Amino acid sequence: MHTIVCVKQVPDPEIPPAKFKIDPVAKKVIPPPGVPPVISVYDERAVEAACRLKDKHKGKITVISLGTEKATDVVRHAISMGADDGYVLQDEAFENLDSFGTAYVLGKAIQKIGGYDLILCGRQAADWGAGQVGSILGEILGLPVITLACDIQAEDKKLKVKRILKDGFEVIEAPMPALVTVSSEIGLPRLPAGMALMLARRKQIPIWKAKDIGADLSELDRSKAHTEITEIFIPTREMKCEMISGATPAEMAANLVSKLATMI
Amino acid sequence: MAFREVFWNISYGYLVYVLALIALAIWLFSFYRRYQLWRQGRPDERFREIGERIGVFIQTVIVDIFVHRKFLRQPFSGIMHLTIFWGFIILLLASAVDAISYYSGYHLQGAPYLWFSLISDLGGFLILAGILMAAFRRYLWKPKSLNSVLDDGILLASMTAIIITGYMIEGLRQAATEIRPHPDWAIWSPGGWVFAKLFIDLSEGALRSWHKFLWWFHSVLTIGIILYSGLAFSKLQHVIVSPLNIFFRSLGPLAAPSPIDIEKAEIMGVGEIKDFTWKQLLDLDACTNCGRCEDVCPAWATNKPLSPRKLVQDLKGHMLKLSSNSVHSPEIRPSLIGEGPTEAEIWACTTCAACQEACPVYVEHILKIIDLRRHLVLAQNKMPESAQLMLRNMQMRGHPWAGAQSLRLRGDWTTNLDLKILAEGDHINTLLWVGCTGALVDRNVEVTVSLTRVLKAAGVDFAVLGEGETCCGDPARRAGYEFQFQLMAEQNIEIFKSHHIQEIITSCPHCYNIIKNEYPKYGGQFKVIHYSQLLWDLLKQEKLNLLNEIHSTLTYHDPCYLGRYNGLYSESREILKMIPKVTLKEMKRSKERSFCCGGGGGHMWIEEQPGTQKISQKRIEEVMKIEVDTVVTSCPYCLQMFEESIENKDSLKAKDLVEMVELSLKKSS
Amino acid sequence: MMGGETMNSYKGVMVLGEIAEGRLAPITIELLGIGRRLADELGEELSVLMMGGKAGALAREAIAYGADKVYVGEDSLFDEYNSDAYTQWIANFCQKTLPSILLIGHTDIGCDLAPRLNGRLRGGLAMDAVDLKIDPSTKLLVSTRPIFGGNAYAKVVSKSARPQMVTIRTKIFPPAERNDSRQGQVILVEEKVDPSVVKAKVVDRIKEEVEGVKLEDAEIIVSGGHGVGSAKNFEMLWELARLLGGTVGATRRACDEGWIPVTRQIGQSGKVVSPKLYIAVALSGAMSHIVGCLGSKCIVAINKDPEANIFNVAHFGIVADYKEVLPVLIQKFKEQRSG
Repeated sequence: MHTIVCVKQVPDPEIPPAKFKIDPVAKKVIPPPGVPPVISVYDERAVEAACRLKDKHKGKITVISLGTEKATDVVRHAISMGADDGYVLQDEAFENLDSFGTAYVLGKAIQKIGGYDLILCGRQAADWGAGQVGSILGEILGLPVITLACDIQAEDKKLKVKRILKDGFEVIEAPMPALVTVSSEIGLPRLPAGMALMLARRKQIPIWKAKDIGADLSELDRSKAHTEITEIFIPTREMKCEMISGATPAEMAANLVSKLATMI
Repeated sequence: MAFREVFWNISYGYLVYVLALIALAIWLFSFYRRYQLWRQGRPDERFREIGERIGVFIQTVIVDIFVHRKFLRQPFSGIMHLTIFWGFIILLLASAVDAISYYSGYHLQGAPYLWFSLISDLGGFLILAGILMAAFRRYLWKPKSLNSVLDDGILLASMTAIIITGYMIEGLRQAATEIRPHPDWAIWSPGGWVFAKLFIDLSEGALRSWHKFLWWFHSVLTIGIILYSGLAFSKLQHVIVSPLNIFFRSLGPLAAPSPIDIEKAEIMGVGEIKDFTWKQLLDLDACTNCGRCEDVCPAWATNKPLSPRKLVQDLKGHMLKLSSNSVHSPEIRPSLIGEGPTEAEIWACTTCAACQEACPVYVEHILKIIDLRRHLVLAQNKMPESAQLMLRNMQMRGHPWAGAQSLRLRGDWTTNLDLKILAEGDHINTLLWVGCTGALVDRNVEVTVSLTRVLKAAGVDFAVLGEGETCCGDPARRAGYEFQFQLMAEQNIEIFKSHHIQEIITSCPHCYNIIKNEYPKYGGQFKVIHYSQLLWDLLKQEKLNLLNEIHSTLTYHDPCYLGRYNGLYSESREILKMIPKVTLKEMKRSKERSFCCGGGGGHMWIEEQPGTQKISQKRIEEVMKIEVDTVVTSCPYCLQMFEESIENKDSLKAKDLVEMVELSLKKSS
Repeated sequence: MMGGETMNSYKGVMVLGEIAEGRLAPITIELLGIGRRLADELGEELSVLMMGGKAGALAREAIAYGADKVYVGEDSLFDEYNSDAYTQWIANFCQKTLPSILLIGHTDIGCDLAPRLNGRLRGGLAMDAVDLKIDPSTKLLVSTRPIFGGNAYAKVVSKSARPQMVTIRTKIFPPAERNDSRQGQVILVEEKVDPSVVKAKVVDRIKEEVEGVKLEDAEIIVSGGHGVGSAKNFEMLWELARLLGGTVGATRRACDEGWIPVTRQIGQSGKVVSPKLYIAVALSGAMSHIVGCLGSKCIVAINKDPEANIFNVAHFGIVADYKEVLPVLIQKFKEQRSG
C-alpha cells in the first residue's frame, strides 16, 4: 500500500507568550531567535498513522512538504520515523498561498507521484490552523474525505477510520484511494531509531519547483486568492486582575468568597 | 609430644581422594558447562588492562572478602557470612595441613599441634554459629528481601551435618586414644572433647566401628555436597563465581553504558538473553539471591514492581531456559521482556546505583536495565508516555522539559546578569554549564543565578552558552534512547572545542557525570568539575569567605550522581561546616548509602507508578526524622523533587548548597 | 464560485442549521443571532437551512429566532450526518440559492463539512471565528480567528470568492432572542440525495459517557495545573467543584502526570470551555492552556508565583499556596450554603 503524507514546517508552538512577536505589516510571525521550527504536530501524527499502516501492510510512504528549502528537515524527520521517500515543494510562486493555492500545489505533486492508496494530512496546521487544505485537496483529487481520524485500518482496498466527535467517536468505511486528516488522538509519534535514522541522514530530498510538477502559475495568482488576511494582532486584554488582599491565605480566601457571592 | 595420627583407624583412606577427584571433576565440569552458557553472550572488553585488573582484584578481595566491608553494612547477615567464610577458610587450611603432614611425613607435634587443633575446631564453631544465625534469619526471622529455596535448606542442613559429624569423629578418636592418656591434649579440641566425654564409656571396638562409619559418612557427605553443587549448580558455586565476577568487574566509571554504533549496529539493546554480554551473564550466576540490593532499592522501598534481586534472578531463570531450549527452533524462543522482567519493572529504575553499591559480588544491575530499555525504545518503540514526551522534547527542542518552553526560553535566565555569553568564534577557558533544569525550571533558575553571583564574587572568569546550550543527553541515555544522546554528545563536544573550552563547571551532577565520564568515548576530554568542588577550592584559597551566621540545623542529601557515581562526599559537607552557626546532622542513610530522591534515570520526567509512594516523599520522611529545618543538596533534580514533596515549607526548607553559600557570604558594605 | 455567476449574484446571509435531540441546536440559535445582525447591516435577508426527517417542524421556531426564510430539506437520510451526502446536497443547494455569507457552527458537523463544502463551492472560508463584522466600506465579511494556538488573531476576508463562509465557535455569540410573532417564509427543498455520491459510510457511532457534569457544559470549573502536585491533592479540587455543582479540569502537564484523565484537559489540545466561573489552581497559565478558558465570564487565579501568566488574564487573583486557600474556600462556601 502506498501512502502519501503532507507535512508542514511551522514555528515552534511552544513559545512563551511574552516572546511571541508579529510583524503587522508583513502579516507574519517573528519567531524568537534560537527556537528552530518544527514539524506541525498533527502532520507528525499523520506520519505516525502512515507508519502504523506500513508496519502492518508493508508498502511505501512518500512525504511531501510545501515550504522553504529548510523544510527538508521535516521531510527527513518523517523519513527517520519510517517514510521511504520525500520531496520538498519550493518555488517563489508557492509563497503565501491560501488554502486553495496550497491544496492545488500539493495536488499537482501528488498527481506527479501517482499510484497512491491513501493520502494523509494533519487535521490543521499548528501555525495558521486554517484546517481546510486536506479537505480541499480531497475535493481537487476527487477522493472521499474523512476528517479527524484517531485510528485508521486498511483491508483490501477498503479503509475503516475511527474519527473523533466531541462526545465520542464514529467509525467510517470508505473505498481507497481516500484522503484522511489525522487528529492528535491517534497517539504519540514514534521516536526515530535504527535503520530509518541512518536512511534519513543519507537520503537525498529533491526540491520540486512549479515547473517540475506542472503547476499552472495563473492558478496561484495572488489576486485570485479565495481568502486574504487583512490584519494580524496579538490580543491585549484591557482587564486588570484584582488581587484579593488579606494578611493570611485564609483571610484572602474569605475575601474572595464575598467577592464571588453574586456569582454562586 | 602432642600429636595425632592422620587416617587413624581408617583403611583405604586414599579412596576419599579418588572420590573427591571424581566429584571435583564433575564440579569443575559444571563450571565448564556454565562457561559455555556465558559464552553465548556478546563480547565484552574485560580482558584489557589485566595488570590493573589484578591489582584491583587483590584490593577488593582484601576489603570486600576478607574484611567483608559491604557485608558488614548489614550487621547480622554480615557477621553471619563473615563467620561462615572464615570458618571454612580455617577448615580448608586445616585439611590442607593434615594432608600435607600425612604425605610429607612431617607431623605437627606438641604445642603447635595443640594450637592447630584448637584453631581447626574454632573454624567449625564459627561455621556452626554462622549456620545458626543463617537458619534463624532464614526460617524464623524471614526478612522480606530474603527468598528461601530448597537449595538454601540443603546447604544449611548438610553443612551442619558435616561439621557435627566432624566433631563426632574427632570425639570418637579422642575417646579411643586420647581422653584417658592425654586429657590435657583432648581439651585443645573442644568440639571433639564434648563428644569424647559423651562416648567415653563405649568399648574400643564400638568406638572404632562408629568412628569408621562416621568418618566415611562425613567424607561421602562432603563429597556428595560438592557433587550436588556441581550437578544442581547450587548457590555454593558462588565461592568460585563471585571472585570470578569480582575479577571481571567494571574498572571504568560506574554504570557508563557502552556506545551503540549507529551505522553498523544490528542489535539494539537487549531483546533476548543472548544479547547480553558474557560478563552480564556471568553476573546472573554470581548473584546469590542475598537481597541486599532489594533492601536498598528506592523503587522497591516505595512498592514499585522493581526489585534488583528479582530482576537478576528472573534473568538468570531465562538464561537457564536458553540451555534447555537450545534444541528448539527460534520461533518458540521465550521472549525476554515480559516473561522475564516486565516493562513496569524495567521503567521503575532511577539508576541510583544503591543496588550496585550494596552488592558484595559486584553485580552490575543498571546497565542491564538500560540495555533492556534500549531494546524497548529503539527496537519496539515501547515506553511510558511520559518517557516518550520527554524524549520527543529532547529531540525537537534539545531539552527534556516538555512544556517548559511555553513559559521561558533556554537563554532567558541570563537576562540582566551581565554574563559573558559565548557567541560564535568566542574563546574561553572556563565554561559554566548550567543544564536544562537550571536554565528552565523556576526554582532551579534561582539556584543558577545564585551560582553565577557567587562565582563572580570570587572573581572566577567564566562564560555561559545561554540559549546556545542544549541538553547533555543524560536523560535520553538512561532512558535507552541512545541515538539522541550520541547526537547531543557529539554536538556538545563540537561546541566546546569550537570555543576552545578547557574546563567545564557544571551545576548538575548528571551533566557532571556524563561529560566527565562518558563524553571521552566520543572524543571529548575536558576538565570537568562540579561547582561544589570549585566552591570548596575557592573557600580554601579564601577567595570566598563565609562570615554571615546562619542559625540552622540542616542535613545534606547526597545526589547519587555526585556521591556513588563519582565519590564526592566531603566537599559539600566541608563547605556547610564552614558556615558559622550551622549544625550539620547526618541522616541514617547518607554518603555511599544515601537514598535516591527519585529523579535519576529519566525519572525527573518519567512518571512514577501511579498509586505508589513517591520516592522523594520517602526521602523527606527520613529528613523529618532527624529534625532539621533545612535539607541541602547540590543537584537540581533532588531540589526539584524535594520542593514537590515537602508539604509544610515552614518547618522544612529545601536549599541548594550554593544558596547557603551565598547567604553566608559577607555582604559588601 | 464555480463559474457563470458574478459576485453580485450572491445575496443574503444563510445559516446552516443543526438539530440536536429534535430541537434547534444551541449553536444554531447563536448563529441566527449574529446572522440577523449581519443581515441587517447589509440590508439583506437571513435564511436558514434545516435538514432532517423532522426539520419542517422546527421551521417556525427558526423564524421566531430571526430567520426570514427557512429552507427545509426534509429527508430522514439527513438525520445522521454523512459527509458525502451533506457536501453534495448542500453544494447543489448553495449553487442554486447563491448566499453571499454562509454561517456554520464550529461543531463536529461544521468542522468536517465546511472545508469540503468550500472545496466544492470554491468560496472563501475562515474556520473557528470568534468575531464577525461587516466592513462598512467594502461590505465584506471580516472574520477574526485565532492563529498560532491562540497567541495571535487574524482578520480574514474573501474579496473575490463567494460564498463568504465561516465556522463560528460555540458560545461566543449570545443566542438570538425568541419572538414568536415574527413572520417568515418556509420553503421545502424537493431535491433528494443522489445515493451514488455516498462513498464513505458511517458504520458505527459510539457515545462516550462522561461522569457528572460535562466539562463543556459546566457553569463552574475548578482547574488544576502542575503545581497541584499529585492525584491526591486533586481531591481538594474535586471537593470544591462538587460543592459548587461544577466539575474539575486540568492543564496538559497535570494530565501528563496522570493525576487526572486526559479527557479533563483544557486548552489548545484539549477542551475549550466558557463557564461562568473558572477557578485556576496552581497553574501558571501557559498560552496553550489559556486559550481553552479565555471565554470564561470570570477567572479566579490562585498561585504562589505573583509573576504567573495566569494573573494577566484573571479577574481575581490570590497570591498564596492553594493548599492553604482551598480548605478555607470550601469551608466558607459550605457555611454560605447552610446559612
